[in-house]
Amino acid sequence: MNTLGKPAKSAQETLSTTPHPTPLIDPALMVKLEQMELVSRKIFRGRMKGERRSRRKGQSVEFADFRNYVAGDDLRFVDWNMYARLDKLFLKLFLEEEDLHFYTLIDVSESMQFGRPTKLHYAKQLAASLGYIGLCRSDRVKIEPLIGSKQNSVPVFRGRKNLWEMMKYLEELPTGSDVSLTQAVRSFCLRNAGKGILLLITDLMDKSGYQEALKYLVAQQMDVYLIHILSQEEIDPDITGDLKLVDCEDADVAEISVSQRLIDRYRGTLANFIEQARDFSSKRGIVYTMTSTERSVDRLVARYLRQRGLVR
Amino acid sequence: MNFMTSSLPWWSWLTLLMVPPLIFLLYFLKLRRTPVQVPSTYLWSKTIEDMHVNSFWQRLRRNLLLFLQVLFALMLLATCLRPGCDGTELVGARFIFLIDNSASMSATDNAQGKPRLETAKLEISNAIQNMPAGSSAMLISFSDSASVQQSYTSNKSELQRKLAQIKQTQRTSDLNEALTAAAGLANPGRSSDKASALDVQVADALDAVLYIYSDGGVRQVPRFAPGSLSPEYHAVGSFENRPTNVGITAFSVGEPSAIDGSVQIFARLQNSDDVDQTVDVSFYVGDALQDAVGDILVTAGGTKGISFNLSGESASVNQPTTVQLKIDDEDVFMLDNEAFAVLNPPRKTNVIIISENTPYFRYACSTDAITKRTNVEFHGAEYLNDSTYLQRAQEGYYDLAIYDSLVPQTMPLCNTMIWNQIPLGDQWNRSAVHSPTPVLDYDGAHPIMAAVKIGGLTIVNSRDLEGPQGSLSLIESTTGSIAVLGPREGYLDLVMGFSIIETDENGETYVNSDWPKKLSFPIFMQNVIEDLSGISAFSAGANLHPGDLMTIKPSIPLEKIKIQSPGGETTEIRPQADRTFVFSNTETSGIYEVSDALSGIVDQRIAVNLMDANESNIAVRADLNLGYSQLQRVTSQIPERKEFWRWLLMGGLILLMVEWIIYNRRVFI
Repeated sequence: MNTLGKPAKSAQETLSTTPHPTPLIDPALMVKLEQMELVSRKIFRGRMKGERRSRRKGQSVEFADFRNYVAGDDLRFVDWNMYARLDKLFLKLFLEEEDLHFYTLIDVSESMQFGRPTKLHYAKQLAASLGYIGLCRSDRVKIEPLIGSKQNSVPVFRGRKNLWEMMKYLEELPTGSDVSLTQAVRSFCLRNAGKGILLLITDLMDKSGYQEALKYLVAQQMDVYLIHILSQEEIDPDITGDLKLVDCEDADVAEISVSQRLIDRYRGTLANFIEQARDFSSKRGIVYTMTSTERSVDRLVARYLRQRGLVR
Repeated sequence: MNFMTSSLPWWSWLTLLMVPPLIFLLYFLKLRRTPVQVPSTYLWSKTIEDMHVNSFWQRLRRNLLLFLQVLFALMLLATCLRPGCDGTELVGARFIFLIDNSASMSATDNAQGKPRLETAKLEISNAIQNMPAGSSAMLISFSDSASVQQSYTSNKSELQRKLAQIKQTQRTSDLNEALTAAAGLANPGRSSDKASALDVQVADALDAVLYIYSDGGVRQVPRFAPGSLSPEYHAVGSFENRPTNVGITAFSVGEPSAIDGSVQIFARLQNSDDVDQTVDVSFYVGDALQDAVGDILVTAGGTKGISFNLSGESASVNQPTTVQLKIDDEDVFMLDNEAFAVLNPPRKTNVIIISENTPYFRYACSTDAITKRTNVEFHGAEYLNDSTYLQRAQEGYYDLAIYDSLVPQTMPLCNTMIWNQIPLGDQWNRSAVHSPTPVLDYDGAHPIMAAVKIGGLTIVNSRDLEGPQGSLSLIESTTGSIAVLGPREGYLDLVMGFSIIETDENGETYVNSDWPKKLSFPIFMQNVIEDLSGISAFSAGANLHPGDLMTIKPSIPLEKIKIQSPGGETTEIRPQADRTFVFSNTETSGIYEVSDALSGIVDQRIAVNLMDANESNIAVRADLNLGYSQLQRVTSQIPERKEFWRWLLMGGLILLMVEWIIYNRRVFI
């Protein structure tokens, strides 16, 4: 029996009813995640005071610099010691501590329902893990399913106390979106103009292409991370015989007679696809990471994403 | 290579023929594929976009399985056609092939116009090819004599080579010798006379199959017991359509007329067809057309005699002249459409009669028929010791020597007639005197006794004679033969067991027989002189068949002669001790010209003709009589098809295995 997909009928039946066997985040991982923080390669301006220093000078306790007094400055920040010594007014500047906007976009299309565990579940686990890091650091965590304009208001989570709400939100994410990746990303970009870290978790299996979507994100001037999830069955298909492959999203059909030549050709096509995605991303400053659902989220976060500078 | 299309009924063929197109069509049907839901067909579509299976021709492209399946179906179809080639199965371990290469085998009566001999060779060649492994065969060709072309061998290529070497002859057919040779191994010789109680078989008989390839026109084989041989008669030639052939079976030049010297030429035409035939014949003297007769009707299976008169002027020739009779119409057997004879200039023969009582011989030899053509010398007994006689006798001067109641110490180099004595040596025996001697019978068919009526002949004393092997009894009394013609090294001795005049113990002579008083005596003497001195042979020339031994006695003693064959080949030969020349290479019919090798003067011409009624009857015989058994003709050998369908089926199964392997390689990774 092949494990690439499911028989067409049963797939429909099991899509929404099958419970995920593993929790989105386990306590051991939570302990590890509490030690980490999200890192942005860009300076962002948060709306609220966060737990991270900003280049923006503000009102924290940490000294940053001096500057000349100009009329209208708050006299509370005048360094009177300097005035006594130099007879000049200097203003004492302190580093501002800001919050980080951490956006996670999860592809919830039908194609994400495949794999063991499903790619969507894996995506949720990853979003939960990174979201938890953000919550621990009082960052502004926002997780959005890519469902386009049908999107209702999306909650923003901040602070550790919102962990369970975030988890609940993740569990209840809508699935089976038929909106293309580009449309969904475009909708997100229109609604979210701020800067921050953006994590896009998708399998990139969009027949209209993923390039436009990534271009929108690049234009958003965000620190974009792309997590490309593929199930093991997609990476190394284990199928035989004469098959009619039915696309779960658009019911498109591809008839194949499996042969070694075809499998080799498929592998070549997949490798080429991954390479193109990596190439496209790196040229546009997007950090690309391809992962299999067989790789544990713990390992992905602690090792691969740390290597790529998303967390530390 | 051929096929057996009748191996299946027509509807089965129709069904089978539908199989390849059906396979072809099946490939255009959509494969019943298992539907499998996948996250996206995006990558798969990209993978298979250039090998899309729904395109009409692309479906067939590189589709090895389709080709293999169609090929397999075609092979099965071909198998059902039962392809094969005609072969013959020879059963047994030893085979003897007897091939007739006599004159009649040159008849071109088959559809391809090939001679019968070629057809027979082809059939034997096929038979040799189909000989089972380990078997051996013998190849014998036969005409009037047999020739073992190849003794027992299992070497097929050698047999084929020897078969190809067999040549057509113009000889007559005689199966006896060939059967004797063939029976040599199958029926081993006996240790002694069959009648003897001590007779034992010297070797084990080995079974052999005897294949006789002939048209059946062979002489009767009166005594032949096949023994361990299993004979089969394979008739060669067109049996259904009786071949058309009118041939000359006799052609002779008669004696010059005593009145005007004219010569009558006789010929006999034979029609072997089963419908009447009309032919035109031309008669040539030398190279000049002398006469021609048109529309001679020869009845179906019958003969027709014709004659030509050659006037005395035309017949009086200075040197041997060829006369030729030719049938102008063409038929499938041209060899008997012309015949040759020779008109020789008159020559007197030399006869010597040595007797103490010559008057009745003188009287008998005084007829015109003898005196005109013969020089007869009469001498007494003392002439036997004369040097002239001795020299002439040893030189072959005489054509016939007649000894009355005496016998020479050395037999002369000529034919002899001896009265009341027997030649010296142990070849001849005679009994004690019988008296009186009633004549019981005589051989009236022999030329010497032709027209001789000896009824009422009185013979007082006589002795029974026993001549050497091959002797012929001409006159028989109640006790035995009293006139015997016996051979002697190429000559004939006619020995009479009585005398005309006898002498008693007292030296008194008395008449022992009244034959000289009878009319038959001069006729008898004329026959003796004509036959034994060779007058007739000289006037019209001897009639030889191809392959016969030609004994040439020149009109004058020659040191060396040159013989020119009809084909123009010349051979020089030297005389034997008796001054005669023997020439054996008479394979071709026609005129052989004998000339003095030194002067080049033509001495005589000798005609060699087929003229054999048996050979001219080229109808293929339905059966062949071999002794007491009659063989029915077998048109061809036991046919056994060489079937190829097994190989095709094996190929098909191999193909199926290859297809299975390819299919598995395709499906399982």
